[in-house]
Amino acid sequence: MVEAKPEAVRTQGLVKRFGAQVAVAGVDLVVPRGSFAGLVGPNGAGKTTTLSMITGLLRPDAGLVEINGHNVWRDPVKVKSRIGVLPEGLRLFERLSGRELLMYNGELRGIPRAEVEQRATELLRVMDLVDSQDKLVVDYSTGMRKKIGLAAALLHNPDVLFLDEPFEGVDPVSANTLVDVLRRYTSSGSTVIFSSHVMDLVERLCDWVSVMSRGSVVAQGPLDVIRNGRTLNEAFLDLVGARGTGEEGLSWLGSSSV
Amino acid sequence: MVGLFVRLKLRLIRGNLRGDVAKQLGFAFTSLLALACAAGGFTLFSLLRLAADPGIALNIGIVAFTLFTLGWIFVPLLAFGLDETLDPSRLALFPLTTRQMTAGLLAASATGPWPLASLVALSGAVVGLASGPVGVLIGIPAVLLQFALCLVASRAVTTALSASLRSRRGRDALAVGAVLLLLVFQLPGMLVNGGLSTDPAAMLDAAASVLRWTPPGIAAHAIAGGGLAGLGELAVLVVAVAVLAWLWIAALRRALVTPDSSNRSGGAVRRSRLGGLLPQGMVGAVAAKELKYARREPRGRIAWFMALVVSGIVMFSLRGPEAWHGPLFVIGPVCMAAMIIGVQASNSFGIDGRSLWMNAVAFSTERDVRADFAGRQLAAAIIAVPLLLVLSVGASLVAGEPLWSVPAMFTAWGVLGVGLGVGAVTSVLVPYTLPERLNAFSGAAPGQGGEAFLGSLLGMLGVGMVALPVVLPALFGLTWVSVLAVPYGLLAAWGGRRLGGMIGNNRLPEIVAAVSRPT
Repeated sequence: MVEAKPEAVRTQGLVKRFGAQVAVAGVDLVVPRGSFAGLVGPNGAGKTTTLSMITGLLRPDAGLVEINGHNVWRDPVKVKSRIGVLPEGLRLFERLSGRELLMYNGELRGIPRAEVEQRATELLRVMDLVDSQDKLVVDYSTGMRKKIGLAAALLHNPDVLFLDEPFEGVDPVSANTLVDVLRRYTSSGSTVIFSSHVMDLVERLCDWVSVMSRGSVVAQGPLDVIRNGRTLNEAFLDLVGARGTGEEGLSWLGSSSV
Repeated sequence: MVGLFVRLKLRLIRGNLRGDVAKQLGFAFTSLLALACAAGGFTLFSLLRLAADPGIALNIGIVAFTLFTLGWIFVPLLAFGLDETLDPSRLALFPLTTRQMTAGLLAASATGPWPLASLVALSGAVVGLASGPVGVLIGIPAVLLQFALCLVASRAVTTALSASLRSRRGRDALAVGAVLLLLVFQLPGMLVNGGLSTDPAAMLDAAASVLRWTPPGIAAHAIAGGGLAGLGELAVLVVAVAVLAWLWIAALRRALVTPDSSNRSGGAVRRSRLGGLLPQGMVGAVAAKELKYARREPRGRIAWFMALVVSGIVMFSLRGPEAWHGPLFVIGPVCMAAMIIGVQASNSFGIDGRSLWMNAVAFSTERDVRADFAGRQLAAAIIAVPLLLVLSVGASLVAGEPLWSVPAMFTAWGVLGVGLGVGAVTSVLVPYTLPERLNAFSGAAPGQGGEAFLGSLLGMLGVGMVALPVVLPALFGLTWVSVLAVPYGLLAAWGGRRLGGMIGNNRLPEIVAAVSRPT
């Protein structure tokens, strides 16, 4: 069997230690091209660390990362121009306005100024940020920051988009905008990988799911295979082995206890 | 309630120190410093007794008490911002009456090493100024009232400003205000240097005759005067403290029911047309961003403002005796200014901080990092080249030799180039996080003091050594050498970019991590 194209993302034995603590212990992540992939896992599972290593922001202690078949750490020229990133924590250039942030990103990536100008205008319109395009990012709300961050990540039309918790703290209206833009983007054959805690959202959006727990991938595959007849939430709780009833203690809690 | 607040303050101090050796050492150092200030202040106040003229002793006492009060009002604002116990909005949800809150907050502000040190230092005035046992009897309540005055005044001001201090614009303004205050402290020295007043005693007398009628002045006067007049002055002080306390309570009431303004968004910025003049592509984009940051980011503003102020001070304080005449005294200060501006570049990525990932995900070759440095150097040059020109002309006019501005300008531009080149190398070798709020005690994130020190040291030494071939001959009269300074500086900047690009490209993830530390 001849594989037509390599996967969008493939990692092998990815390891990262912080002192004595092993944050990522041999992750083998696979995401096929054109998928809308969700990376789920409890807090501290190593999602952010993994995404940072895949996008070239954190040097792995061991392991291999390939994006579209190119090694991220040995061949950054082929990779970095083809990926878009929205890391966690909304770290943006705070003292630029939304529009200036997009212009900066576009020119940093070598797109001609006039072209950046046009793309920025369109992105600002789609993201519903036209009214605040000249305000400083430091004064933006969480939803606005996620939207301008996504716009900046999309500006150079990457093949693969990495989003770390893109919906955290975002109001429903902004979330809807984000989802619309991402759906349009993947329907053209591009790949999105995003991490999230919100199982309902992953279930609704994704066709591919990777489940992480304690620094490694415990399951990954098409959504229906992972679900296997359950809801994703049930499947997730089974996979990470965290099912307690929570009924011990707290007997005083609630209005019937008095 | 009072006990609860005092325990809250003590717990906050202790909780802040838990498990952090750097902070514990810092606190130990602060406590020692407070102890030293308490002992020193007490001793200095006591020594006033030895003054030949009791009038001068009183004048010094009045000025010192006033400075003390001003210190209490401004230092907490500038150095620490709002600590948890200073911010009434954190207590708004608790079922407390304003009276309970007033007593509690007052008790909390009297707790800690610095308030206690102030009280000890102030009581030295009783030893130093009081005349006889009656003086001591009046002096003790006067000192206590003065202490209460400091606390209440400080609280009233922080509470009244707490709403605006929580907004982004308020904090930005405050950060710049801190530098202005430093400048104000430089003023007396500069005035004396400038020969405006030849008699310090006369200046002191003039100041004291006005300040004597302010509440702290009255307190000092009451201690020295004693008698019935002293009692009257104590009554005035009580009224002053009561009025301030009333103002504070009013501000507190307002602060508790006024909505948090920290989320109120700021205005729009103008789209710059000058950006169109910069070259297209990466270099222009980075330069445009740097120029905006120099203007909009308080730390950027402070850095440039400081460079300007320090060079101004150097320029004027070198205007000394007649023997101090020669190109050295024009070229020297201007080169000093160039060096200060250049050393700013020694941690270029510091102000980008946590946003640097945006560059890191876009950079894939050595050339990209080099272009980034080129943009930063271009932006620094756009501001610094005209600035150094003005300084050169200014310094030469002060010296009365306008022609010397030419070698001074060339040499300074050369030094600037060297500074930017060396900065590119130190920026990739020892990057560190700049704290969000600048303060006098630390220029780096907790645990990175060593990097910050090493970075500035390497920067200074590097600039000093690399710039030596052009600066030294010019300083010793071979002014024609300055013709070579500009090409030399350009070469140094280019070399620095190249080396910085080479090292930086291999260390990008490490640099991003180093400038993104929590502060």
